[in-house]
Amino acid sequence: MSPDEEFLVTLLRALQVASLEAIVVGNAGAALQGAPVTTQDVDLLIRDTALNRDKLLRFATALGAARPVEISELTSTQRIIGAAWPVDILFETMSGGLHFASVRSRAKTIAIGDVSATVASLEDIIRSKEAADRAKDHATLPILRDALRVIKLLETEKP
Amino acid sequence: MSAEDAEVLAARVVALRDRLAPHVPDIDPGDLMLILESLLKPIGSGRRFLLREIRPGVYVA
Repeated sequence: MSPDEEFLVTLLRALQVASLEAIVVGNAGAALQGAPVTTQDVDLLIRDTALNRDKLLRFATALGAARPVEISELTSTQRIIGAAWPVDILFETMSGGLHFASVRSRAKTIAIGDVSATVASLEDIIRSKEAADRAKDHATLPILRDALRVIKLLETEKP
Repeated sequence: MSAEDAEVLAARVVALRDRLAPHVPDIDPGDLMLILESLLKPIGSGRRFLLREIRPGVYVA
């Protein structure tokens, strides 16, 4: 495994320790599905409950990182700093009006080593990036859309 | 990845490219090979996708 993959395994084990249900979204989720993209952090979507806020602290501790901090006053997203890579936590919704329950209903389970990740569908990741409308999203969208088309094409070829 | 594994991967990428390219003529051939290589190297097989910024504007995987 690469250090990147080992970090994901560490992250998924920390989620297990904290009993925190999370969906991998963003470019890390796209990479898990085979899209040739890179990212500087891992984005996780979780339900926004008081219990989950407690679990989040346990997750950060299990990850060997600091407690989550607000990214800015303009967003509820929190960042966990101090692990091998930053981890961003999105509460309940992501760009594109996508809610946890609906994203989870379309999510895929992807095994990494002896653990597995719940990963947002590539369609949902693309939709959220289209809605987020940031320059870095526009830079990534063409290759994500092409990767999705190739994946769909390969699926139609399966017997 | 061993040289032998790399040869097998390259052959699979080229075979898939030849088969799929006519169906997606608007996808850049280089991008198509990049996508196929990524798809054929699943997570757990040594893929790199997390970047670090070592100084402003300079990233390493």
